[in-house]
Amino acid sequence: MYVAVKGGERAIANAHRLLADRRRGDREQAELEVDQIQGQLRLAVDRVMSEASLYDPELAALAIKQASGDMIEAVFLLRAYRTTLPRLAVSEPLDTGAMRIERRISATYKDIPGGQVLGPTYDYTHRLLDFLLLAEGETPPVESSEPPLAPCPQILELLDAEGLIERERDDGSEPADITRDPPDYPVDRAARLQMLARGDEGYLLALGYSTQRGYGRNHPFAGEIRLGQVEVEIFAEEWGEAVCVGEIALSECQMINQFGGSREAAPQFTRGYGLAFGHSERKTLAMALVDRALRAEELGEPIQGPAQQAEFVLAHADNVEASGFVSHLKLPHYVDFQSELELLRRLRREHEARRQGTGQEAGSPTSTTDERAAAPGDPA
Amino acid sequence: MNGYNFAYLDEQTKRMIRRALLKAVAIPGYQVPFGGREMPMPYGWGTGGMQLTASILGADDVLKVIDQGADDTTNAVSIRAFFERVAGVETTTVTPAASVIQTRHRIPETPLEPGQILVFQVPIPEPLRFIEPSEQETRLMHALEEYGVMHVKLYEDIARHGHIATTYAYPVKVDGRYVMDPSPIPKFDNPKLDMSPALLLFGAGREKRLYAIPPHTRVESLDFEDHPFEIQRWEQRCALCASDKSFLDEVITDDAGGRMFVCSDTDYCLTRRGELS
Amino acid sequence: MPWPTLNDPVHDSQRLFRQLLTAMSEPGTLHTLEVPSPPGDDIGPALWGVLLTLCDLDTRVWLAPALDGPALQEALVFHTGCRLTADPAEADFALVTPGVLAEPIAFALGSDEYPDRSTTLLVALDTLEPAGEWYLTGPGIALQRQLGLGVAAAPLMARLAANRGSFPCGLDAILTCGARLAALPRSTRIEEVA
Repeated sequence: MYVAVKGGERAIANAHRLLADRRRGDREQAELEVDQIQGQLRLAVDRVMSEASLYDPELAALAIKQASGDMIEAVFLLRAYRTTLPRLAVSEPLDTGAMRIERRISATYKDIPGGQVLGPTYDYTHRLLDFLLLAEGETPPVESSEPPLAPCPQILELLDAEGLIERERDDGSEPADITRDPPDYPVDRAARLQMLARGDEGYLLALGYSTQRGYGRNHPFAGEIRLGQVEVEIFAEEWGEAVCVGEIALSECQMINQFGGSREAAPQFTRGYGLAFGHSERKTLAMALVDRALRAEELGEPIQGPAQQAEFVLAHADNVEASGFVSHLKLPHYVDFQSELELLRRLRREHEARRQGTGQEAGSPTSTTDERAAAPGDPA
Repeated sequence: MNGYNFAYLDEQTKRMIRRALLKAVAIPGYQVPFGGREMPMPYGWGTGGMQLTASILGADDVLKVIDQGADDTTNAVSIRAFFERVAGVETTTVTPAASVIQTRHRIPETPLEPGQILVFQVPIPEPLRFIEPSEQETRLMHALEEYGVMHVKLYEDIARHGHIATTYAYPVKVDGRYVMDPSPIPKFDNPKLDMSPALLLFGAGREKRLYAIPPHTRVESLDFEDHPFEIQRWEQRCALCASDKSFLDEVITDDAGGRMFVCSDTDYCLTRRGELS
Repeated sequence: MPWPTLNDPVHDSQRLFRQLLTAMSEPGTLHTLEVPSPPGDDIGPALWGVLLTLCDLDTRVWLAPALDGPALQEALVFHTGCRLTADPAEADFALVTPGVLAEPIAFALGSDEYPDRSTTLLVALDTLEPAGEWYLTGPGIALQRQLGLGVAAAPLMARLAANRGSFPCGLDAILTCGARLAALPRSTRIEEVA
């Protein structure tokens, strides 16, 4: 006899207890501390901050711990917290040209004013597992020999001086705020860049990659990639000037792409732009490729690849939205499924009747018990 | 709950949603864009319905939450517990005792009453979405009242299957103007939308749209003269309460093809069994 | 005399909003709002309550010259943070008397794509009765409702009756008189009965 399942509440509470237990893992091991995550899994922390649109390394580390290392879950936790925060002020536009550089490279010139600075990068590491880390070998401290770097001019500004690259203009208009306003397609570039900045890194990586393989090729050169510390300033009404309220780590990628130009305008390089919190270099490269691909319509290029279709790209970039909607398939759908079953059985019954030519009335709205009982195990 | 506003959302967000709700009831069936916020639950799990509920709920409301018609499914339990926690409101499973009912995929069997508000959780608010994926295009189709493609789609079903193959989220036309997705309720529930005495609100959090059907509004399910709209029927009665008027869930009872049919609306079924015993 | 605010902003505005929601979804029904009375005779408690409930820094409000004044402006901005606008076409809400509608003021009607981007009229009336010369039908009305608004309301009602021709674009109106309130959304069919 069927007994209606009760006790959903208890089941949920039990699931939460089990989850907490699994997260903690073996009690023989010391519990992972948030500052260890913040200090030693910093690239994970940076990714979570970027995709959650909240700069708070400590809380991002907490989210990673609470999510057992599930990055999308961690992004979601931080995003949900972000929503509850009051908006105290709006910062002045950040000046990445004044960045305190930690890493800065250009793929377009061999030597550049301020120099190529490799900084902390995995780029030239040989991907050999370091068994010393397994044996808990300590890493020697870096000998700090050189003085801190002076601010470096942005490479694209040098090109701009010669008129070789399109100029980015601030038309003074109020940018959209994607955290408060629903997207109104087609969205402008400000909204687009915001959506890409919080977009899923893997998704942008795949889309950016697709443009390199010919689905909307845009001939990119990594004009400059820089990462370091940038000051955040807020205009204080009472003092009549902007004051620095702190520094944040940023990664920026300025891509140089093939010419635009028209009968009126001389040919110029075009740009793609990527920006992310922390050390998120791969994300900014992918973002710059996709930003440039999405400018296809504006630049009069044929739209041939998925990465160039703005509504498609932007509507599916947010991994918190995507993850929620995909995982909602786990929720009960008894009622909808029952509706489909009822129709499918009816269609099969009518199909069978037609095949046998028994003249059974087609379109009968009711199902019979016999056919229902026969349906599921019936291979026919 | 400490640190959070009444019903979780801040007052400015509630006002934004409230203004959008007034537009929604003024333009029945039209999807009003709104600045949907992240909720502490996943998108696709009822965040739109929850934002609407949070924006209308008051301390003296009595809230009922159902999923698949049932009060005891896990997501219903979870959402009900959320509002108990953040708003401290009284909750109930009894349909007539509720002033606000949040639902996923069903309209209760017990007829709703004037003054009640039914809040639907909506996954994809755009009824034309599976015919035309672009938002820019569907917006234009609504503006021009260009709904021919929807009839073509339904008619292709008839040509292929002999029936309209849409069994849930069956499109309706509201007050003779907007074609609307009633959310994935079974088409069995569609007739309850027409001239409902209760206010019907629809919230899609991920898609950031909300819409409404005021009480006593004409709601027609799309159909054809030679293929009139019809709802699901069962030969069986509910195995628990013997109702022959409710939407039945099929329950598999063993691995030898054994099955039974029971009401999807648990409150309706339990109430009837109370009356019967 | 200072302009009053809501005693309990969270719960009072929720209660007032629910009355507004019922008014808008059941056009022509009368509701009495419990709101502290503002000073002067122009703005009744119902109208003041609506402003406190719906306006904030994201809304733009247009004030009809007949109602405009430094005291109202100051109170409105202080209590809600809303932005005042001189351009009726960019107003989310317009504070009007029914006579103002005799002029062809260019309020926002929304567009076919976005009919929601329209101005909502907040009307201060001298008469608002549940029976009278205006017959209402449409969504939210089971059979028919009536409203009595006095002769002064004729320009307003002519403007609202035109909504049917522009639907889904149009103006929604919240009618107030003292502490009483009713709503006429653009979906309502309006007929004058002699």
